[in-house]
Amino acid sequence: MSVRRKNRKREEYFFDYTLLFIVLFLLGFGLVMLYSTSSYEAALDYGDSAYYLKKQLLSTALGIVCMIIVSRINYHFWERFAVLGYIVAVILILLVMTPLGKEVKGARRWLRLGPLSIQPAEIAKLAMILFLAVLVCKMGKGIRTWKGFGLAVGAAAPICLLIWKVTNNLSSAIIVGGIAVLMVFVAAPDYKRFVLLALGVCAAAALIVFIIVKNAESQADAAADGGIQSDAGFRGDRIIAWLDPEKYASDEGFQTLQALYAIGSGNLFGKGLGRSMQKLGFLPEAQNDMIFSIICEELGLFGALSIILLFILLIWRFMVIANNATDLFGALLVVGVLGHIAIQVILNIAVVTNTIPNTGISLPFISYGGTSVLFLLSEIGLVLSVSKGIRLNDVG
Amino acid sequence: MRGYKTYNRKKIVVLFLCCTMALVGLGGRLIYLMIYQGEYYTRLAEDLHERERTIKAARGKIIDSTGQVLATNRTVCTISVIHSQIEEPEKVMAMLVKELGISEETAKKKVEKVSSIEKIKSNVSKETGDIIRGYNLAGVKVDEDYKRFYPFDELASKVLGFTGSDNQGIIGLEVKYEDYLKGEDGIIYTITDARGVEIDKEGENRKEPVPGNDLYISMDFNIQSYATQLCKQVMEAKEADAVSMLVMNPQNGEILAMVNLPEFHLNDPFTLLNGGETTQDALNQMWRNGVINDTYEPGSTFKIITATAALEAGVVTVNDTFSCPGFIIVEDRKIRCHKTTGHGGENFIQATMNSCNPVFVDVGLRLGVDRYYSYFRQFGLLEKTGVDLPGEAGTIMHKKENMGQVELATVSFGQSFQITPIQLATTVSSIVNGGNRITPHFGVEAKDTKGNTVETFTYPVKKGIVSKETSETMRMILEQVVENGGGKKAQIEGFAIGGKTATSQTLPRGSGKYIASFLGFYPADNPKVLALVVINHPKGIYYGGQIAAPVVKKLFENILPYLEKIDYTK
Repeated sequence: MSVRRKNRKREEYFFDYTLLFIVLFLLGFGLVMLYSTSSYEAALDYGDSAYYLKKQLLSTALGIVCMIIVSRINYHFWERFAVLGYIVAVILILLVMTPLGKEVKGARRWLRLGPLSIQPAEIAKLAMILFLAVLVCKMGKGIRTWKGFGLAVGAAAPICLLIWKVTNNLSSAIIVGGIAVLMVFVAAPDYKRFVLLALGVCAAAALIVFIIVKNAESQADAAADGGIQSDAGFRGDRIIAWLDPEKYASDEGFQTLQALYAIGSGNLFGKGLGRSMQKLGFLPEAQNDMIFSIICEELGLFGALSIILLFILLIWRFMVIANNATDLFGALLVVGVLGHIAIQVILNIAVVTNTIPNTGISLPFISYGGTSVLFLLSEIGLVLSVSKGIRLNDVG
Repeated sequence: MRGYKTYNRKKIVVLFLCCTMALVGLGGRLIYLMIYQGEYYTRLAEDLHERERTIKAARGKIIDSTGQVLATNRTVCTISVIHSQIEEPEKVMAMLVKELGISEETAKKKVEKVSSIEKIKSNVSKETGDIIRGYNLAGVKVDEDYKRFYPFDELASKVLGFTGSDNQGIIGLEVKYEDYLKGEDGIIYTITDARGVEIDKEGENRKEPVPGNDLYISMDFNIQSYATQLCKQVMEAKEADAVSMLVMNPQNGEILAMVNLPEFHLNDPFTLLNGGETTQDALNQMWRNGVINDTYEPGSTFKIITATAALEAGVVTVNDTFSCPGFIIVEDRKIRCHKTTGHGGENFIQATMNSCNPVFVDVGLRLGVDRYYSYFRQFGLLEKTGVDLPGEAGTIMHKKENMGQVELATVSFGQSFQITPIQLATTVSSIVNGGNRITPHFGVEAKDTKGNTVETFTYPVKKGIVSKETSETMRMILEQVVENGGGKKAQIEGFAIGGKTATSQTLPRGSGKYIASFLGFYPADNPKVLALVVINHPKGIYYGGQIAAPVVKKLFENILPYLEKIDYTK
């Protein structure tokens, strides 16, 4: 056990092995599923069935190293980098517009750094967690006021807007915004304004969907009358396709429908590992955002529910660590990570099951994506570091 | 514990519970999708992954009354290349050029074309297919298939018909009995990836093909062959355009032979006989079955019908006497007899033996338009015979209201209207068989591959179109025609044959083109076999009695002993 000397002097200190094992299990499972999902396409496209696996293995190894290092550093060490991290995140996002930016499948979201490419949005998530935790602690009781609330949420807004507008990545913007709101929610004592906020968001979403559907209907009528054929924008199309994917099976509803085919053909115990049909080129981005549907197809309802249960356990560990953290800063860091992972898992599964409109969100630890796994593991390192501050007799 | 309060902890628990609830909710959604909607999506997914490949069913054979197979299947191969599986394109190209005789450019183009599967050549013999398979080259596919094969190629080509690229009948019996012959194609379901590449490990699901039923027909291979030979001889000798012959059993309508010269090659039906540009029109012309698809003016053979009607109506008796001056005047027309000097005094039998036009005009006029027309209808001449071959032509006849004395006069000796040869043969059969209007046909029964009868075909018979007495009288008169009259050249010693000759000028009149024909049957007192030969546009002597009657004579000389022998063995 690598407990630092300073701590050993005091008492037995806590290290959350449960969390570590859950994360390692998810990583291992993710790699197996990634290989199963991507090997066929990888062999055809790159002549190497382990193409994606190798890249992901490298990022994962790097991530584990980061996790170990971060877990050994007292989390208060990072306090001083909060503002710097925020600024760096903003700069990196802006850099995407420069020639350093890299376009993949029509979306300009990556930065090229030598042989590697990173997604600034992933860095922004971590930067946001750190920055808000520091900000809220600095504010102290100020967070209780509308002003403090506004300030905290307002701090998140620029990064969200940048991610949305510069990298055209609404889903990451929503995640960053969601992380901010959840952290403020935990920091502030009252419920009313959050309930109001939640209701407001729901109402706004419902209104937008309503308007888009109305528009589409009138356009369809206009088209039927020989009028102009116009589009509701690509997000609008996605919302219309969400409501009836089979009607738009050849374009906007295609990916969703293919995911549903995969999920639906899984049944109780699935077709067995490696026996998915949908991954053979039918389901686009199968190893990426849609990997959960392949898990459903290969491992069935049983496997899918097991994964959901693992994520609940993971969140439960975050809760235990946050509740037993020695100070609010540590707790808020853990809450931020909890929010990040919980939001991504929920949105990813919701997209895959066509519960919400299609938007690109990856499944933490399992989906293909180097930057994502690297920063997620760093965040886990942070949480482990917080867990070490807990004295054993505090737990329970 | 800087500023860390209990409410923070409570809120963390609330947060955890909210997330857990959301995840449990999604779990519920998964249960709904995978259990309740599972079947629906599984089916859609399978539809997406499965590709169907049909296995052609073997088409039923066509077998004659002696057991001779007239149409069968031969295994042929289709050679294709699968671009994504080719490993040695150079070798594949060289092999294709060597074994299939295609040009190097074609081979190169096909091999290098990026497609899921590219067909190189179909209808390749099984031997070649086996050789190509022996090369064991990756990406080369040899599919076996059935192709229709006609062992006797030209024999009865217009009767049997042939099949198209999908093994479907196009003309003749092949199309008429399509439903019996075709069978049911099998299906191979293969699983493919999104590019359409088959996935081997998934294996195949098969629905086995059901072979078609064999069709047993009344045609007699030996008679058909001999009749074809005779027709060829006369066609060459007389330099005729076409020669048709129909041999049938007048008792039940079974057709024993149907020859239509020139016949075409059943194994190569899309190549014109005389070369020339292959147009659909030219092909259709080549495939026409003159005996049933084309009408002609029957001429004097039709006097059989006029005589029957007159006898049946009682407007004439066999002993009535007539006088032929060589012509007859009807209204303002002078209708000539073929013997311009006239036959002089003759009774009705002699008039028939002489094929005397004025007598038959007289008899027709005695009947009158109404009665003549009603007998025409009663004998079944206004309807099609119902023969089991496609495209039978109808009778082209004057409308009753437009029929005056002149029209009636010309119809009486077989001119100014048109019928098909099969119509004539069927009507005469019905008259001489005792008055039963039979349906001419080939199809006898359909049997499955194990030899079990699937269906025995039955055909309508209309009884009593003429009285037995008239029928008997007609047999006697027609026997006299062969014995002592215009049909002498069909006489065979020791055999009582009935018959009637005909020579008709084709339209337009005065073109010098004639159709010579003869209709004969045996035995005259109870006919078992009836033959009609029609020679189109012979050169030189064109009289039916001179050139058509000997053809039937030769046929009967040969087949009568043969048919009798068959009867003995029964």
